[in-house]
Amino acid sequence: MRIATIVGTRPQLIKAAALQPDLRALHDETFIDTGQHWDDALAGVFFRDLGLVRPDLTLDGGGGTAAEQTGRIMVGLEAALRAIVPDIVLVFGDTNSTLAAALVAARLGAPIAHVEAGLRSFDRRMPEEVNRIVTDHLARWAFAPTEAAVANLAAEGLTDGVHLVGDVMRDLAARTVEAVRDEAALADALAGVPGGPWRTGAFLFATIHRAENRSPAAIGAWLALLDAVARPDRPILLALHPGTRAVLDATGLSLGPDVVVTEPLGYRASLAAQLHAAAVLTDSGGIQREAAWLGTPCLVLRSSTEWVETLAGDGATSVLVGLDAVAATAALARLAPAERSIDDARARAATRMIETDGATAAIARLLA
Amino acid sequence: MSDIFFRELDLPTPDVNLGIGSGTHGEQTAGAMVGLEREWTAGPPALVVLYGDVNSTLAASLVAAKLQIPSAHVEAGLRSFDRSMPEEINRIVSDLLAELLFTTSPEATGHLRAMGVPTERIHFVGNPMIDTLMTQRARFDPAPERERLGLPATYGVVTLHRPSNVDDIESARAVVGALGALAARLPLVIPLHPRGAARLAEAGLHDGERLRIVEPLGYVAFLSLVAGARLVLTDSGGIQEETTMLDVPCLTMRPNTERPITISHGTNRLVRPDEVAAAADEILAGPERPEGPRPPLWDGHAGERIADVVVVWLGARRAPGAPATSPA
Repeated sequence: MRIATIVGTRPQLIKAAALQPDLRALHDETFIDTGQHWDDALAGVFFRDLGLVRPDLTLDGGGGTAAEQTGRIMVGLEAALRAIVPDIVLVFGDTNSTLAAALVAARLGAPIAHVEAGLRSFDRRMPEEVNRIVTDHLARWAFAPTEAAVANLAAEGLTDGVHLVGDVMRDLAARTVEAVRDEAALADALAGVPGGPWRTGAFLFATIHRAENRSPAAIGAWLALLDAVARPDRPILLALHPGTRAVLDATGLSLGPDVVVTEPLGYRASLAAQLHAAAVLTDSGGIQREAAWLGTPCLVLRSSTEWVETLAGDGATSVLVGLDAVAATAALARLAPAERSIDDARARAATRMIETDGATAAIARLLA
Repeated sequence: MSDIFFRELDLPTPDVNLGIGSGTHGEQTAGAMVGLEREWTAGPPALVVLYGDVNSTLAASLVAAKLQIPSAHVEAGLRSFDRSMPEEINRIVSDLLAELLFTTSPEATGHLRAMGVPTERIHFVGNPMIDTLMTQRARFDPAPERERLGLPATYGVVTLHRPSNVDDIESARAVVGALGALAARLPLVIPLHPRGAARLAEAGLHDGERLRIVEPLGYVAFLSLVAGARLVLTDSGGIQEETTMLDVPCLTMRPNTERPITISHGTNRLVRPDEVAAAADEILAGPERPEGPRPPLWDGHAGERIADVVVVWLGARRAPGAPATSPA
């Protein structure tokens, strides 16, 4: 099949990288980047890290309001897809690029394959929730990562074309984890990051990027939360997108002494940081899952999550804390007590294998 | 074209005209999205009310959802189950994102339930287009229009605009063949946009004694002609409903309809181009104004029902201590 793969953000690049080898073994892929949101400075390390091919086409989709961005991507993709005439348009996740591609493909009559279908936070104030719902209903193939996602789709009357394939990110993590299990790999991954040396079990890894966590009130709340849990002997490594960093700087609020800010890490470095950290604090669904697969305790800095599996069960190591510093402190004391965190992280790094879901092979096969 | 509609229907001039105009689907939708986002960011309304299934409906429902402004969709739940129709995409998205959904038929309510829309958001209210038809009906007078266009007492009205019928030359030839066969049975009048006219002309359609091609008409003039017609041949959505209310036999040249109630409770029938002549013969041998059941609640009061629901909904939202509405 002639497949047009559409990406626009960092997480989508990573998912595309996970799928690309299997996809290209069976299909003719045109790789399109909408230009929505990723830093060109980081792109080099990204592509090298992931073995991803360069996009065949890059559009000018960055910046602007939601409508401006979605609209600009729609116009660009409409022209591109008219020229390519793909058999299938493949989209990932829940961004404005996903939405724009789905709308244009549906309108052009190109069947849509949606990877990570069926996720629901049941919170429509999240722009991602709107993007997910619309894309799922326009898709011919809905590739669901979990049973819960399949059930969500069924509740909306969607059963035809729904396939439970597992998680493409899990496949990629399974392929990558071996390379980051040594403490030397951690040092290597965080070589350019200030504040080191970063030692196994002796730091917390945090990421914050969501729109709802970029208001001045939210920034004040998460700064207080990070301050409450950071200590000189267990500092926080906080990866922030330059955009979030700029918003933070504009508030005039400052970071605590034991919080070190860095640019977003590449995929491999991020996986290394998660494996070796005492615990992870994040508002990213992707990192929430990766931490769960790695067995690293994870505090989810959101009030809801579409990845309910990571919270379920007795041995679950993820917990929703929102931006509540008290809840975060209590959860951390329970899941990653200071007296144990170094030993726990060393044990994890020594033993942790991730079982592949086989999602990428299944998707490539189902599209043939 | 728009001016005459506003005048005839006593609609106030819009407070804001975004002037989007034509373009590709992407350009048009993008333009409407950006314009609406600007308007609603400057002054967010308590509720956005959307009609039908055009690109503006799609754009507005996406922008409202992203700005967390609730939307009400009038004519919700219509489905042709044919995704090659652009309107079908617009309908699905607008229904998915609406807080209040107003349906014109029980089937439409069923379609919404099947996609998991909670019952309390769906209101079966009847058809507001029929409200307008009933308000204006006293003004429908075929005689002056017939005279102006030089039509005999018995004639048919044809409207064609759907890309599947007029955009590719093969389909256009089949359609023109059907029109020829129909015109041999009774004189026809076709109000036609220049865009559709070009392709149909290329397929062999010409203005003639028994097949009059005329400029698009205003609401009252067009429905006057329809009210006096022996039959209507169309591919439009709304005309299927209007002929049902006017008891005028209707042939719809499409493989499907999102308005099946006009078949079960009306005068409508789906035909392929090669079935038009035989179907017309049946109509011409039958009663001029076939009587049958009317769709439920197509009684001229749909607008009032919608207004009642909206007033109650807005009141509940404003009430202090009212529970948060379901997520929009």
